[in-house]
Amino acid sequence: MKAKVGQLLRARTGPMTSELVLHPGDFGLGRVPARLAPFATAKSVCGFCSTGCGLKIHLNARGEAINLTADPDHPVNLGMACPKGWEALTPLAASDRATKPLLRDQSTGRLHPVPWEKALASFVKNFQGIQARHGKPAVAILSTGQIVTEEMALLGALGKFGMGVLHFDSNTRQCMATAHVAYKQSFGFDAPPFTYADFEQSDVLVFIGANPCIAHPIMWQRVMMNRRSPTLIVVDPRKTETAMLATQHVALRPKSDLTLLYGLARLLIELGAVKEDYVSAHTTGFAEFRQFVSAFSLERTANESGVAAEDLVRCATSIARGQRVSFWWTMGVNQSHEATRTAQAIINLALMTGSVGRPGTGANSITGQCNAMGSRLFGNATSLLGGYDFACAADRDHVAGILGIAPALIPAEQGWAYDEIIDGIDRGDIRGLWIIATNTAHSWINHGRFAELRRKLDFLVVQEMYVSTETARMADLVLPAAGWGEKDGVFINSERRIGVTRKVARAPGAALSDFAIFQLVAEAWGCGGLFRAWRSPEAVFQILKALSRGQPCDFSGVANYAQLEACGGIQWPFPETNSADRGPEQPERRLFADGVFFTPTGRAAFLFDEPRPMPEPPDADYPLILMTGRGSSAQWHTGTRTDKSAILRKLAPTSLYVEINPADASRLGVTDNARVEVRSRRGSLAANAYVTAVVQPGQIFLPMHFPEVNRLTFPSFDPHSRQPSYKACAVSVSPLAE
Amino acid sequence: MVADRQPLLLALVDELLAEQGRLQTPVARFATAFRCAPVYHDLVPLSKPGPGEQYAFEVDLDSCSGCKTCVVACHALNGLEDNESWRAVGLIHGSLGPSAFQQTVTSSCHHCADPACLNGCPVLAYEKDPVTGIVRHLDDQCIGCQYCVLQCPYDVPKYSERLGIVRKCDMCQQRLADGEAPACVQACPTQAISIVKVSVTRNGATPPRCDTSTFLAAAPDPSYTQPTTRYISKKPLAAGLMAADAATVRTQSAHWPLVMMLTFMPMAVGVFTVTSVPAFSPGQPTTPDPTIVAWFGGLLGLASAFLHLGQPWRAWRIFLGWRRSWLSREAMVFGLWAGFATVTTMGSVGILPVEASLPVLRLATAVTGLIGLYCSVMIYVDTPREFWRWSQTGPRFAGTALVLGLAPVAPGAAACVLAAKLAWEFASFGGPAVPAQLMRGPLRRAATLRFFLGLAGGAILVSAPGWFGFFVTMGGEMAERYLFFRAVDAPKMPGGVRG
Repeated sequence: MKAKVGQLLRARTGPMTSELVLHPGDFGLGRVPARLAPFATAKSVCGFCSTGCGLKIHLNARGEAINLTADPDHPVNLGMACPKGWEALTPLAASDRATKPLLRDQSTGRLHPVPWEKALASFVKNFQGIQARHGKPAVAILSTGQIVTEEMALLGALGKFGMGVLHFDSNTRQCMATAHVAYKQSFGFDAPPFTYADFEQSDVLVFIGANPCIAHPIMWQRVMMNRRSPTLIVVDPRKTETAMLATQHVALRPKSDLTLLYGLARLLIELGAVKEDYVSAHTTGFAEFRQFVSAFSLERTANESGVAAEDLVRCATSIARGQRVSFWWTMGVNQSHEATRTAQAIINLALMTGSVGRPGTGANSITGQCNAMGSRLFGNATSLLGGYDFACAADRDHVAGILGIAPALIPAEQGWAYDEIIDGIDRGDIRGLWIIATNTAHSWINHGRFAELRRKLDFLVVQEMYVSTETARMADLVLPAAGWGEKDGVFINSERRIGVTRKVARAPGAALSDFAIFQLVAEAWGCGGLFRAWRSPEAVFQILKALSRGQPCDFSGVANYAQLEACGGIQWPFPETNSADRGPEQPERRLFADGVFFTPTGRAAFLFDEPRPMPEPPDADYPLILMTGRGSSAQWHTGTRTDKSAILRKLAPTSLYVEINPADASRLGVTDNARVEVRSRRGSLAANAYVTAVVQPGQIFLPMHFPEVNRLTFPSFDPHSRQPSYKACAVSVSPLAE
Repeated sequence: MVADRQPLLLALVDELLAEQGRLQTPVARFATAFRCAPVYHDLVPLSKPGPGEQYAFEVDLDSCSGCKTCVVACHALNGLEDNESWRAVGLIHGSLGPSAFQQTVTSSCHHCADPACLNGCPVLAYEKDPVTGIVRHLDDQCIGCQYCVLQCPYDVPKYSERLGIVRKCDMCQQRLADGEAPACVQACPTQAISIVKVSVTRNGATPPRCDTSTFLAAAPDPSYTQPTTRYISKKPLAAGLMAADAATVRTQSAHWPLVMMLTFMPMAVGVFTVTSVPAFSPGQPTTPDPTIVAWFGGLLGLASAFLHLGQPWRAWRIFLGWRRSWLSREAMVFGLWAGFATVTTMGSVGILPVEASLPVLRLATAVTGLIGLYCSVMIYVDTPREFWRWSQTGPRFAGTALVLGLAPVAPGAAACVLAAKLAWEFASFGGPAVPAQLMRGPLRRAATLRFFLGLAGGAILVSAPGWFGFFVTMGGEMAERYLFFRAVDAPKMPGGVRG
């Protein structure tokens, strides 16, 4: 009775209280919301960035995903995930999912739903028509780093061997092309040498153009797990979250990194930090390099980089004294007009100090997209499937033999890079374009031009999860694709770990996995016969294994998806031949412990070039340097997925802001949070000023996730990797009337 | 050539669509063996708080890197609504000597030693756990009045439209009870958040106190509610740090039913009070009788306040908080007032035979009304909001009562008071304070309307006394009350860059 009166006066229980009751989750989980208690769990690798975190997907009795947690048993993330990973399922339920193929009606100019067979017929009729009129290379493909490796391989094979497409590139050009070329030239193969344990085992970690706190939070977790009291050096023009936590922040001038790295090399030589034994046994070109960097005196380096001489010396001394020094770079390096040489300048520092192949060392490229490495190895764009060379007849024969196709189907010619395809559209050489899982109209540099070029395309096909992306809205034909979580396959992460991602949700409507769409296109195109063995993602995985055999990326020792899942992914190389002694139970492995590289000589190469000034330096009309980059950990690229999660949207800025230094702000009469116009020679945008000393005077920063940002960027490209230089162009800022 | 293959292709489309829709049965392929749950014991205390202690969040600022995982993990592991999380991450920035400084800051409910939400709640829907010190919200007790939202200086309780109640962090007490770390604690990749035990001094009559020296410098003054969260850092926090959203001025909710109530009730109280003074008794009866207008308006105001509640049917418990909550007191006093006012009105129109007691009833109505109005003022004065302090709220509410009370019987006097009130209000438009910025900026049109209606009402009262001038004036007062709610500067923890 007393309890009843108590409950009547003060309701401690009831339906609303029950909503928040937690139950033990079982399956190795802690407590979970009672109404979301899992019936079972599945393991899957996250589909956002290249960290490759293991997620435990909670399933209901029907096998549908209802929630997820980070997988505590996964060797990458050890039970942690970033906000995007936690919210990975939410974007699947968005209301703007593409659920039916959409074809643009020429009379009304609008996109209309059509059945798949009509969509395929239109695809074939238009693209084959273009090829008939203008030659086969007039149809080009822009692919992605966001789909599974099996899909990339099928697309690559279908495009190049089945459809006769020559010009085929992917959005990994925007993130990883530089690392790819730099490694290939220096090490003989695109082979990031590290394993994530190196974060924990370093004494000195040098981050160059990288902000892992925001861009790769789970990698930063591994840095924080380092118990060796490491020296953290961050080379970045901005005082980023990562720079705040660093021991030394080397706040260089934008695009002075190459000079700075050469200056550091000379300082290291002067400090006697060169491991002569290592250099003479395992490298080529050091003598020339030593001669070359002698021109980069401390004074010159300090002058050109804007970093005080004593800070440079302190940095070099830390590197020289470190027993285990590791170098890590990301987009600040990769996206530059001299990116490849900059990446190689980092590789040179690692080589000359013998910081390769040992725990806690390496010249390590942190990748962007979840499957950038899958794309690099099996996308069939720049390299022939499996990291082979299109130009090499023996390679073509070998690959054709494994695939059971005529070698003549494999083109010997190298196709165009992304920017060359764009130029090709402008010239009228490219008339048909098939875009898969990327948002060119938002993300391509100086994208104002792309909208214009759209009119020059006779037929644009966009294969997408969402009908609302800037690019899908321009399409003649939209092919509705299943997303991450709605299909099976493998991703290859930054540390070369092959991990399985699983189908745990149904795709909406008539959306199909990219794999199924490529199968349909092959049949409709009339080349289905080439791909009879490519029945399913897992069947293709076996083909990929065969392709990798004998290559540096050999993973022929991997049995199947089940083994990958049980091991939390397996890093290549994992060849059949020695899988007994290098068992999958070994959770971490790094490359080049023996000092033997993948070049013909087995030696790594010192590669270098004279630094060049930035292509569009600031001047009187456009006095500020615009840098772009990741703005928050809750936003992924163009936001097509992360914007669909209400909780992630809450963690991101509601509208575009621009970071501007207090000195510039007061000179320009700009107050905090005031509306300003940012103008470059290519366009302008309006943003709210965020007045902060995080950026240096003379520099501003815009987060790349907003569509208007790439209206401003200057289209310059690294000559080796053709990667766009997103992080340096000249702009002006002026206050806007309220 | 496509046509030839059409049947084959159609079959393939169907087959692939069927395959796309097929999920593996969980047991067949996925089921993971049961393993011990990760509970992150090292981030929660090994024993329960002793006497004079409670649980608190400790945030290691040197480890907080701004990934915001805590926010999303709270959302996911507690099964909250699409955009709901009980954690937030902000950013403070400035300069430390020659170099720039920025620091991300994660915050949640501070489980204060002297929680304002709890103190202000009219239905005792908050309780502070006697052992753990966790400030818990009783979701089935909450009436959805949102007074705690106004009371909390850290913007912690959040109102849910779907449920009609507020919800807030309970430090995952169900997890803690089992030795499992709260969602945010177990999800932080850099272990920046932990649960610690802190001392709380309870000394009889004086409010409980805790050590707030480790509270965040750039956050609202901790002396008010004694937040227990500890923000620790090895590096010195730069002086003069600002929240990244410091320059973002936000309008607050209008709370329309409260705008109505806080216009109608002062009017009713004013009319009953003025007409209870013999000198102002209407010489000749006016139509309608001011008493009827006041009675009807007052009841309309109270009904409106009732409708403001997210869970009106639970409102009968509103007396429970009378010891501490001005809202509870206001509701009780105005309840009494409604009784007096009804009897008085019925008596004055002759429905009830209470003519002899009418002067006493009028006086009782006036006195309870004035006490109720005082409670109304105190509801807002009791919040940590600068714009609602005594010197702002008192003159506004009392001014409305006086102007609208005088208007039916002494329009000239009413116009004079109104002119003074308008002039006084106008002064609050200048200066850098947030309410002034808002009224000059996003609320400019409402502010203009307020002065237009005020001036027009005053002019009509003087030139053509009558109900028209009264209602125009009341419209002006309502616009002023709207600004009172929308332009208030609500304190909160530092936010991030909002763009």
